[in-house]
Amino acid sequence: MEIPELLSIIFLVTGAAFFMAGTIGLLRFPDVYTRLHVLAKVDNLGLGFIILGLLFQAPGLMAALKIIVIWLLALAASSTVSFLIARQALNRGVAPWKAKEQKI
Amino acid sequence: MILRTVFLRIVLFVAAWWVLTQGRTDSWGVGLISIASALIVSLILLPPGLFRFSFAGLFFFLNYFLSQSLKAGIQVALMAVRLNPDLHPSIKLISLRLPEGLGRVILVNTLNLLPGTLSANLTSSSLCLHVLDERQPNEAQVRDIEKLIAHMLCVELEES
Repeated sequence: MEIPELLSIIFLVTGAAFFMAGTIGLLRFPDVYTRLHVLAKVDNLGLGFIILGLLFQAPGLMAALKIIVIWLLALAASSTVSFLIARQALNRGVAPWKAKEQKI
Repeated sequence: MILRTVFLRIVLFVAAWWVLTQGRTDSWGVGLISIASALIVSLILLPPGLFRFSFAGLFFFLNYFLSQSLKAGIQVALMAVRLNPDLHPSIKLISLRLPEGLGRVILVNTLNLLPGTLSANLTSSSLCLHVLDERQPNEAQVRDIEKLIAHMLCVELEES
């Protein structure tokens, strides 16, 4: 196996692992705000690694540029959407989940 | 000045379309409509001549952003798979020192991808921030990124 191919596989698997963790967080976290944290941060990192992995397999410069542009656009869109959902939730009066006071 | 801005934006949008279609020519019909719409929307949302741009500032900003967003992703991913996620979420109100406009939009979007912070509302004077762990010094982080954005856009921070 050649080195670029190996690197590509490593990055793709890392990206998939982050998406997996992001999905687990989405299911486990208690409210809309904490879930948005997971969606915005972890999925973007996962996408970043997938993009890196795909760059090693890109057939040419144009394809590579296209993949990078897609990542940047997805980054901006997901961050903006997270803000809009959080703002709408606040405006509707969705109360943020609070940790219970720790007993000493 | 205005013509120069319009020209630069057209170049930017044409380049984006050209990259996305990988240089194919058969979709330029849709492309021209998209480019024209993007130009009109961009001129409405961000009128020309209101900001300058520093490339050195962009470099420092990207450097901070990439390292911190990597940290943010790893941190939240670990929280998600840990048995006890140890969440201490809270809402914090933070006064804004960036002038209204592009700088604040970049701030809001950047904070969503940085460790532990999620912008939840923006008013004319303050930012409503949802934090994953209220014990962390979130405000100091906002102050850092404010400085970097101000440097990048060549604007002065207001006194809070």
